[in-house]
Amino acid sequence: MLLFRSEETVNEWCTAHKIRRRPLINLDQLWQLAVHWYANRLTVESRRPRPDEMVSIFASIGLTGPFWDPKSDQWR
Amino acid sequence: MIADTGSAPTSAEVAKALDLSEENVRAAFARLHTKRLLVPEPDDPSRIRMAPPFSGIPTAFPVEALGKRYYANCVWDAFGVAAALHADAIIPTADGFSGEPLTLEVKSGAPIAQLSVAHFAVPAAHWWDDIVFT
Repeated sequence: MLLFRSEETVNEWCTAHKIRRRPLINLDQLWQLAVHWYANRLTVESRRPRPDEMVSIFASIGLTGPFWDPKSDQWR
Repeated sequence: MIADTGSAPTSAEVAKALDLSEENVRAAFARLHTKRLLVPEPDDPSRIRMAPPFSGIPTAFPVEALGKRYYANCVWDAFGVAAALHADAIIPTADGFSGEPLTLEVKSGAPIAQLSVAHFAVPAAHWWDDIVFT
């Protein structure tokens, strides 16, 4: 995933690459994802969140729907 | 080791540091890959391409923290490096379309506010279909 100055440059990037515009997230949401995923990454107990945990993490910061469901096949 | 130095070790370097055989270390790399905690270089399993949030190669997402320069795999992982290190960080990167310089900063456990946004081009169910692209 990439960083953009604004929604405008996201749209320009999607047009240039013929890629469908997907959800945008702000920096606070991105930071929360980073903390959930990686705050204990340097510990022996570290592991990636399970799919059900991912859904809960996404929902806790307002990211819901099939795009954020790691088990969804709606986007195939 | 990558957190200590900023550079991804080879399997030989890990083997030497832990007094293990390189074969055992490569097998461990493979097991970590199945757990989606490490991505070896596709054509060289002795080298680490990704140990999320860290990148084994230079990327467009450098992270300056603890007096070192790390590289992250994407903007999420750039914040992830700061989160993993529990450290303040500066991330000198650029707009994904225009190339305009953009600098993110993490201070005292939170990002400094700005209007930049992250775009997820790939839905969650397919992030690991091609994790390098994701």
